[in-house]
Amino acid sequence: MDVILFTLFNGLLYGMLLFMLSSGLTLIFGMMGVLNFAHASFFMLGAYFAYQISKYIGFIPALFIAPLIIAFCGAMVEKYALRRVHKFGHVAELLFTFGLFYIIEELVQMIWGKVPVGYHVPEYLDFTLFSMSGMGYQAYAMFTLVLSVAMFVVLFSVLTKTRAGLIIQAALTHPEIVSSLGHNVPRVFMLVFGLGCALAGLAGVLAGNTLGTEPSMALSLGPIVFVVIVVGGLGSLKGALVASILIGVVQTTAISLDYSINNFIEFIGLSVDVESLWRIIIDLTISQVAPILPYLLLVLMLIFRPRGLFGNRDV
Amino acid sequence: MLIKFIKLFLLISTLVSYSIASKADEKIKIAIIEPMSGPLASVGLDLIEGLEFFAERINNAGGVLGGKHIEIVPYDNAMVAEKTIQQLRKVIDEDIRYVTQGVGSNHALNIIKTLEKHNKRNPGKEIMFLNHSAVTTSFTNELCNFYHFRFDANVDMKVAALVSQMTKDPSIKKVYLLNQNYAYGQSFQAAARRLLAERAPQIEIVGDELIVPFGKILDFNPYVSKITSSGADTVLTGNWGPDAARLIKATTNSQLKVKFYTIYAGIPAAMNSMGVKVSTFNPIVQVTESHENDSTHPDWLKEIDAEYMEFANKSPYADRQRFMMEMFAAAVEQAGTADPTQVAWELEGMTGRGAHGDVFMRAEDHQMHFDMVLSHISTNVEKTFIYNNEDYGMAYETDGWVDVADITLPTTCKMKRPKR
Amino acid sequence: MANLFKSFSTWIIIGVIAAILPLIFDSSFALTLLSKMGVLIIFTVAYNMLLGQGGMLSFGHAIYFGLAGYASIHIMNGIGAETLPYFPTVLFPLIGAVVGLFFGSLVGYVSTRRAGTAFAMISLGFCEMVTAMTLIFVLFFNGEDGIQTDRMVGPEPFGISFGPQIEIYYLILFWCVITVALMYIITKTPFGRMSNAVRENPERAAFIGYSVRRVRWQAFALSSMFAGAAGSLHALNYEHIGFESVSVIQSGAVLFMAFIGGAGHFLGPIVGAIGLTYLDSTLADYTEAWLLYLGLTFSGIVMFAPGGLAGLIVMHGPIARTDKKLLTSLVKPYLLAIGSVVTGLIGLIGIIEMLYFRSLISKGEGEVIIFWTEFNANGITSWLIFIGLILGGIFLSKKTFPMAKESWDHAISVVKTEISHE
Repeated sequence: MDVILFTLFNGLLYGMLLFMLSSGLTLIFGMMGVLNFAHASFFMLGAYFAYQISKYIGFIPALFIAPLIIAFCGAMVEKYALRRVHKFGHVAELLFTFGLFYIIEELVQMIWGKVPVGYHVPEYLDFTLFSMSGMGYQAYAMFTLVLSVAMFVVLFSVLTKTRAGLIIQAALTHPEIVSSLGHNVPRVFMLVFGLGCALAGLAGVLAGNTLGTEPSMALSLGPIVFVVIVVGGLGSLKGALVASILIGVVQTTAISLDYSINNFIEFIGLSVDVESLWRIIIDLTISQVAPILPYLLLVLMLIFRPRGLFGNRDV
Repeated sequence: MLIKFIKLFLLISTLVSYSIASKADEKIKIAIIEPMSGPLASVGLDLIEGLEFFAERINNAGGVLGGKHIEIVPYDNAMVAEKTIQQLRKVIDEDIRYVTQGVGSNHALNIIKTLEKHNKRNPGKEIMFLNHSAVTTSFTNELCNFYHFRFDANVDMKVAALVSQMTKDPSIKKVYLLNQNYAYGQSFQAAARRLLAERAPQIEIVGDELIVPFGKILDFNPYVSKITSSGADTVLTGNWGPDAARLIKATTNSQLKVKFYTIYAGIPAAMNSMGVKVSTFNPIVQVTESHENDSTHPDWLKEIDAEYMEFANKSPYADRQRFMMEMFAAAVEQAGTADPTQVAWELEGMTGRGAHGDVFMRAEDHQMHFDMVLSHISTNVEKTFIYNNEDYGMAYETDGWVDVADITLPTTCKMKRPKR
Repeated sequence: MANLFKSFSTWIIIGVIAAILPLIFDSSFALTLLSKMGVLIIFTVAYNMLLGQGGMLSFGHAIYFGLAGYASIHIMNGIGAETLPYFPTVLFPLIGAVVGLFFGSLVGYVSTRRAGTAFAMISLGFCEMVTAMTLIFVLFFNGEDGIQTDRMVGPEPFGISFGPQIEIYYLILFWCVITVALMYIITKTPFGRMSNAVRENPERAAFIGYSVRRVRWQAFALSSMFAGAAGSLHALNYEHIGFESVSVIQSGAVLFMAFIGGAGHFLGPIVGAIGLTYLDSTLADYTEAWLLYLGLTFSGIVMFAPGGLAGLIVMHGPIARTDKKLLTSLVKPYLLAIGSVVTGLIGLIGIIEMLYFRSLISKGEGEVIIFWTEFNANGITSWLIFIGLILGGIFLSKKTFPMAKESWDHAISVVKTEISHE
């Protein structure tokens, strides 16, 4: 019972972190069809800006200011660069953001150096809120959880219930008509891109202090984000949420399972020679392969159900 | 047509610079191949800077062989194996006879193998490899080589030091092994199992885990949960980088009380990443050749530390760089020549000054031996760690010294030596 | 017929020059560099079969390159330990080709069901999986250490042991010529044409009766086959293979080379491979900001010249053919435009270099060497100089670019009138 409770709760915590990371990306892709390879880079920028701001002013101001700065950066990138590339097609947009990823990583190193920076959880949130199953849970972790849930709720309602959200959704599928109705479609795209980047930046502010803020952050977190949005369904916020939690729970469970195929074979009474080459594969425990599982899921999903769980756009 | 000419032009113009042979001059050059770009660049650059400092000290004191200066020539390998090999070929071209490296044992392995072939195929033009930090034990066991000298304690020695210290603490009864699933982590795991059985049979191993390395794991809570339920009071791990920092952070956040015995989890970059609270919540014990705040730190070394601080704006960390350069210079002087073969003969069995008694290079396998100190991160220190004008607010506090006799391990090296 | 002979003879001339090069530049480093270029030319041209000709963006092509390398190393070690029968070193790229073909067909079968962004992401997923597997399955891949080999094994026909680098270079050159020629011929076949057609308009290609999926799959398999051949040579060149050769970083590198060189033209990837390999091996030693420059160049080319360098050159082809004088009339405005950009670039590079230098403020003095001159990064003068250069560059560009564009438009209109007269 303890184990199940832990698995679910920890899976939820980890999953919501992934959701925060990927919500912006799925929004941008869903709205604009642009797969922003540099999404994790904006996440990293958010963490660095938060570090800088919290050093001089404080964490709470950083929580508001950093995402705004990132939103601005994202909007500028869209307006002056991405827009030019738009006419060359989606592949060109992907390539451009690929180059952008390298550029941001180098810029970060240039400004803040190559060593991890000391971005830490603020003191007033750094205490144990409660204990469960013998493990303490930090107040900051709960704070992050609450904020990420709020993020989802706010985003979802804005997109589906407000006028602005409906305009955004319409501008994707029928840009000419929306434009002829008098809306500034390029401005809409710019705002959406900025918003998506701001979400990544906010995730960076919240997670940078626990994961460690260093220039290689974007490289290590980038791939998992892609998995989330593809599995969830490109463009679907709901899908990103479900996929994140799913992956969170799967990984947490996997790490706790120290069983290998060999255990199963021995369980049913057979045995494989210790010297045999097969042992290499079957000796692997599930916990050892846990981090690859998401990629396996990605590939399977793309092969069998490219729409993802909740997507309505085919990739 | 145009394209073809442009292609040719590119090809030719780009290669012109490489036909220029370098002149031999009055310097003794040591090439250093480390990452100068990419995620581990700061580690590489710091090491290069350290060597440059010690070379400068020697040069300012008169150099070697009647005034010749030692020059450190840096090469970037960006942590890519083929670049290491490529840079080595550049080193060979530029007629440099000494190479040093340490970040990433796989690169050291490449260097050892490539130099082995080169030295065999080019007698009279041998190149020596001064290994300052690559700790894979096999380099001084089955892979030992006359032209390879290791100045850092290897994995087995460091684990032996950690285990020896663990036996002095009666409160340690259950240990959890957690390591990165690649060559280095696996050798740590193997050494840990063997040495715990030999020296600390009373300590029970309650967990033995291999994780996917290099920052792929973001969430360490499941591992913390496993450690908690195993009832371990100590975690023995060789983890480094984000794999170490995230594990320790997760442990602190869950309020799990456990001791960490590590090699690299407490290095300055990790300290900074974790912050004061995380670094001091649980004792994080590391093993090094010396540290500034140790009570037996000799005065002459304190002077050098101060000079280093002025030069690099950082607190010193790796004393082995000092004795490597000092012994190298001494060996060159004694040999009377900068020829690697003669210098190698001198280095074998040589002693040098260390922070806790002499250090010496065992002739049998070219492995350096010295007393090692175990220390944990603490704010209760006189000299806190400074890095580029940033004060970390903490440094290391000694737990105890392990005598070199306790970490002198047998070797399987069967070294082929040239005729004298 | 005369045309064919003419283009053939240029290839022969290039081949001869490539053969004599190592005799001129005989340093070990130069030989290694030339060898590396040869290998990467094969790999990049193979990659372009997918990108440029097939219109498929793959982030995981290094898988076939690397796996072929691993197979070759294992077999070479087996021959050395005499557990495997002798296989002539000269023919090793065939092993690589087989391995590449095998895995390419396998992975291609699943990935080519999708196109565009989905295809790119599947390739990324596979790449991450294979990289992770090389770290976990230590027996086959030896994890982070990689595997070493000695290529001086077996009998030595004609005294060629492939120990010395120069012999490896000629081996690589030989295979480079063969594979590139083969790939060129493939572009001229109906299959090659269909690959282009599928890239341009899959729906229409399907209407003609071709299975879009099958064409893509074949292109994928063939591309992987040649990539595998390159992988073998890569392993022989370094006598080592490691997990970086299957990683996203290697795939990204070949993508950069193909794209910057110009994916739309057959020679583009060759130009890209040579140029970037050289820069990668040398620029990195001069400046710490080279990755930044690479990223900026790449993004710049995506934005302004998606046809790559080759594309830019080929654009002028019609002009040259119509009237040589038109081409020369472009030279002056181009030089002015380029000059103003270069001014700005020098300023930008100066600022970037100084910023990088300052990020490592360990040393107290501020002397940094840019463009072989010393500048003081702490003093304000250097900063002012470079900022001034940037501003100057922008100002000049605003003046010279419209002129260049005018000349270009004029030249093109002349070409168009010429064509309409014919």
